[in-house]
Amino acid sequence: MNISVELFEKNMNVKGIIKGEIDAFTAPVLRENLLDISLKENILIELDLTDVSYMDSTGLGVFVGIYKSVNALNGQLKLTGLSSRLKRLFDITGLVEIMDIQTREEVMIDETV
Amino acid sequence: MPQEFKRQYKEILEQYTLRQTEQNLYKGQNFSKQLIQKNISPEEVISIHKASLEELIPTLPKDALHSFDFLIEVMIRYGLALEEHKALIQIQENFKMEMELAANVQKTLLKTKIPNLDGLDIGMISVPAKEMNGDYAYFLSDETSIGIAVADVIGKGIPAALCMSMIKYGMDSLNGAKTDPITVLDVINRIVEKSVTDSMFISMFYGRYDTLRSEFTHASAGHEPPLFYCAKQKKFTELQAKGLLLGVIPNVKYEQHSIVLEEGDFIVMMTDGVTECRSNDGFIEQKKVMEIIERVKKETAQEMVEHVFHELEILQDFELRDDFTLVILKKEG
Amino acid sequence: MNTRSSVEIIKEQDIVAARKLGRNKAKELGFGTVDQARITTAISELARNIYLYAGKGNIQIQQITEGDLKGLLIIASDEGEGILDVRKVLDDGYTTSGGLGAGLPGVKRLMDDFKIDTVIGEGTKISATKWLR
Repeated sequence: MNISVELFEKNMNVKGIIKGEIDAFTAPVLRENLLDISLKENILIELDLTDVSYMDSTGLGVFVGIYKSVNALNGQLKLTGLSSRLKRLFDITGLVEIMDIQTREEVMIDETV
Repeated sequence: MPQEFKRQYKEILEQYTLRQTEQNLYKGQNFSKQLIQKNISPEEVISIHKASLEELIPTLPKDALHSFDFLIEVMIRYGLALEEHKALIQIQENFKMEMELAANVQKTLLKTKIPNLDGLDIGMISVPAKEMNGDYAYFLSDETSIGIAVADVIGKGIPAALCMSMIKYGMDSLNGAKTDPITVLDVINRIVEKSVTDSMFISMFYGRYDTLRSEFTHASAGHEPPLFYCAKQKKFTELQAKGLLLGVIPNVKYEQHSIVLEEGDFIVMMTDGVTECRSNDGFIEQKKVMEIIERVKKETAQEMVEHVFHELEILQDFELRDDFTLVILKKEG
Repeated sequence: MNTRSSVEIIKEQDIVAARKLGRNKAKELGFGTVDQARITTAISELARNIYLYAGKGNIQIQQITEGDLKGLLIIASDEGEGILDVRKVLDDGYTTSGGLGAGLPGVKRLMDDFKIDTVIGEGTKISATKWLR
């Protein structure tokens, strides 16, 4: 039951690194942390989930929440470094169609190019 | 009766001052049970102690006696804390009773009847992790077709449960069991999208079975794909259908697919309480769930769902982490 | 017999003076040690609230009778901001968890009768009575 969130804000862009497990206990903590981001028109938020070992539907709710607020401001939400288990959650829920999502493998290919 | 307590206390205390035995201490401890039962506060106990001591040992130095007045002053807040604690426990009990009532109201409100059609065997189980269920299964039916909705509201407890009535009333507003699955999801998505807060959403599967053609038509709003068991090939496949969760955006294109069922074929619809079961050694894989189901495929659909629930309960050490819902629809011979 | 007196609450030391007055009055009326301690604790709470939140006010202590009953009435009044949500400050677990001590629910428990009159922007008057039994 642990989670850590690091955020780096730069102009229009926010980068974040999330580590740990996202479940019913840690999701409220994650949400609190992400609420610290000051949302602006056209904002780009990129969250690295490489070190997220588990996520359930409560965690998904947090990302749906940010997606909705970012989308309302014509911004973008990008999630990177997803494990295949996490990716499956976004596939099943259809969120993969509306969010920019990169798996671990895709990130590795990007880096070698 | 403080006077009566004082008399008894003085007696026990006297015995102890004369002989410091375990037996006498034990008497004192038992006496404290009565004091607690009769709501005698800590400061009153000290006051009784002081008064008893004054009578038992008249030569007790004045300053020693004063120290008890000091102690009474110190203990007042302990007494208050105790009272507050009792009041909070009472409130908690009231909450619990209200929760049970609410859970009952929910049960009545969301009650569904498993349809009984020739050639079709349906089993259903839905168990909440806490008092209120965030999963929902609902059936529509006419002479030749049935509609099955299986939904899961994100999160557990009261907020999730309240959301469920939306699905029920959405379904009841439809034109019966022959409605296309994509139409059902579209209607309910519009209702949900307007009514839920930002981080809330619902996943929902909807299937329609036509008994004349033995055809199962299905669509999904971000829901766990159902499993289709083909008796001829003795094999499970996932019934895939793309579609976004309910309540995220207003206009969603859902997909709809159909399959024809042969004798002995069955479809397993579930919520992520089934697939996201976590045991001590990690996740219970989908393969494991399939194995459990296959072993009991000859039983009735109701026996099947109950068996799967029981097996997964054991694997999770009887600790249900999420609401659990499982529906099996089987074509009989 | 002097039946009515009051103490101005401005400094922390005034809380002790109010306690002292309350204890003397309670003793005079015939309250036992435990009830004396309860009454003074209630006075402490009320005086402390004035000192911490209103800054200035006073504690009035009055011996009263109602039929055969004799009692001690404590009136704490201030000209502070007033209490916005009376129900909330009387809720268990609200004041104590914030580290404010027994708070008003405590005073209510320590005494027999309890009444709050508060006007936003004008001040608060709390009356609490302990009856001699």
